[in-house]
Amino acid sequence: MAETDRSELRKAAEQSFIEKKQILADQINYYPNKIKEKGFKTINRFRDYYPESNRLMDLGVVFAQEDLESVAEAMQDKTPWAVVSGLNPSGPLHFGHKIIFDNLLWLQKQGADIYIPITNDETYVVDKAKSLGESRRIAYEEVIPSIIAMGFDPKKTHIFVDSDYPQIYNLAMKFSKHLSNNKINGVFGFGNKRKEDGDDLKEEKENPGTYFYRGAIQQAQILLPQIKEFGGPKPTIIPVGIDQYPYILLARDVAEKAKLIPPAALFLTFADGLDGKGKMSASRRESAIFLNDEPQVAAKKIKTAYTGGSVSAEFQREHGGVPEICPIYQLRTYNFEKDKHVAEDCKNGQILCGDCKRITIEQVIDFLVEHQAKLPEARDRINEFLLTTPITSHLD
Amino acid sequence: MKIERLLSTPKLIQATPSIDQFFERSALISPKPMKIFYGETYDDKGNTIDSMKYYLFVSLLADALKEKGVKVDSSILIADSAACRNVGPENEKLYMSLGNSRCDFVHRVNETYGTKLNVTRMSEYINSPEFIQKRAGVIEVCNNDPNLMIAVEKTVPESKIDIERNKGFLYSFDEIASIIDLDIKVGPPREDLYDNVARIIAKQRGDKGIMSLFLSPTFPLGMGWAYFFANEGIEDHGITAYKAGSKRLQRNRIIVGTSNPDYINDLINTSFISKNPDLPNPVLDIGIICEMARKKLNNDQSPLTLAEEFYQGDISCDQLKTKVAFDVNEFILSKF
Repeated sequence: MAETDRSELRKAAEQSFIEKKQILADQINYYPNKIKEKGFKTINRFRDYYPESNRLMDLGVVFAQEDLESVAEAMQDKTPWAVVSGLNPSGPLHFGHKIIFDNLLWLQKQGADIYIPITNDETYVVDKAKSLGESRRIAYEEVIPSIIAMGFDPKKTHIFVDSDYPQIYNLAMKFSKHLSNNKINGVFGFGNKRKEDGDDLKEEKENPGTYFYRGAIQQAQILLPQIKEFGGPKPTIIPVGIDQYPYILLARDVAEKAKLIPPAALFLTFADGLDGKGKMSASRRESAIFLNDEPQVAAKKIKTAYTGGSVSAEFQREHGGVPEICPIYQLRTYNFEKDKHVAEDCKNGQILCGDCKRITIEQVIDFLVEHQAKLPEARDRINEFLLTTPITSHLD
Repeated sequence: MKIERLLSTPKLIQATPSIDQFFERSALISPKPMKIFYGETYDDKGNTIDSMKYYLFVSLLADALKEKGVKVDSSILIADSAACRNVGPENEKLYMSLGNSRCDFVHRVNETYGTKLNVTRMSEYINSPEFIQKRAGVIEVCNNDPNLMIAVEKTVPESKIDIERNKGFLYSFDEIASIIDLDIKVGPPREDLYDNVARIIAKQRGDKGIMSLFLSPTFPLGMGWAYFFANEGIEDHGITAYKAGSKRLQRNRIIVGTSNPDYINDLINTSFISKNPDLPNPVLDIGIICEMARKKLNNDQSPLTLAEEFYQGDISCDQLKTKVAFDVNEFILSKF
């Protein structure tokens, strides 16, 4: 390489390194500040006390909690407790969803009954699907088989597609009296332009469906495990991203009025998109590896992914990379590797992005092949997991 | 035991004056002996093993200082008048009698372990002209200083603030006046609130102030991890060592002379303990009390090492529980 070229490359590498360090500096306080602002607690005390480790808590993916103390005794004494984690069937699942389900699997292993509302009604009313039929199809063809293939226990997993479990609407009607329009408008800003976390100002596309969904159906989903048909009041955890906290607040409010146990919350970080343009999202195909991606498609996405590394191998060997902002680092450690060596090797310059990506491609492909091989059997087993229990207690 | 080792015993000492401060105080008051003090109230649930932590420690501290040529006067105050304050006149006689029991308990500890602790009762001095005058002086200083009065109010739990305000914060002033002339006060960490007021008043007068030595908090036995996780206050401050009924947890305490050994065994076995030194370890706490008892019984001057052995990995959690279940009977319960 000519000396001038070398010098230009080095300058570019230095500049890029400074920029990446700045991104890290901006990011590093984001979640701690959110914890402080909202009055949550970090997950640290729970990690100190709980006898089983959780990789995602150790990595800081599950980073905060509210009122987990209310569930602790049930976890310790192995009395009934539940987790509710809903999913919007707007498309196939991706690795960002996988992290959520890995956490649910861990919670199930600790004794929780897992309730998974597939919110195809929401998908439709917020315009993420052309019809209820389409969102329903995606739920049964893509989403539910993928969930089953991850290894959930059918005896302790209760999945329902909202439009096929209309009982949920009866329950929503019952709970709706515990909320006021003012409260819902205040929380969701219906009728006003509102700013969402990290996004530009956007106008909410309102219709009676979005209102009923956010104001009542969501509460019914969250509190469903506590109704008489499912054993009555019990401690419940809702794992969410921090942007979903308003739902938790409303649910806690409704729970108190309905003489149920206010649900606790676990807060998860967002997985970064492979394109380096924000969080992993189904609406940006190149940002995510979908669980139904062909291996070669996944491999290409990884090869072209943004990283925390340098444009210059020489510079990276000297100064290391910035794994904390690297979606490849996240892909490896959130899904496959427990050890801290991944970060250390990157920061010490002992591994370059090309080698790291090669390892990640192998890990991802192995997973995809195994996961996709399980899907046919998973499709045959859907009925084992579907919740069909009739609800009559809403009439009490 | 060397004082340096005693004062650095992990999981026993929460905070202590430095060794230099001990010797400076000794030099200042010489030829008078250094007054080492521990005071406690009580309830009607019995004598706790956790009170013995303080009795045994005060004795070991006195021994260690004497070894260095320091004259020491070590005493235990049974605050019977204070214990009677909030139980109502119908229970006063009972509680004064319970004060007798507590004094007898300390005397038994003296006989069994050679602790040589002087035992005083608050009722012996609280109505004396000298104490009344001392307390009046304390009240006057506090009344003239709004910041000091705020500090006095902070010594009262929030749930009792209105009651104590109506009584003129007499409980707090009795405590402060009782400790103001001491040299070393041994106690649980929460007593810092009283000690600070006493120090400020002493400083204003140009007197020597008390030096506080705090032992580690006391935790209930037989509780799982969920209890400590859900009760951050207990994790930070513990429960009251000298009152078996603190936080209504008398079933989770060892009451000397009353608790059944099999029951204690169960409590120890079902206690949450951890290799994380930042987390409560009620079993280790009992183990350290047993270790102090054993050393006094055998006149053993070697350092206390149980905590180090446990956290360094020489003893497993199961081994600790087995050892403590044995030791508590061997060195303490069987003696009463």
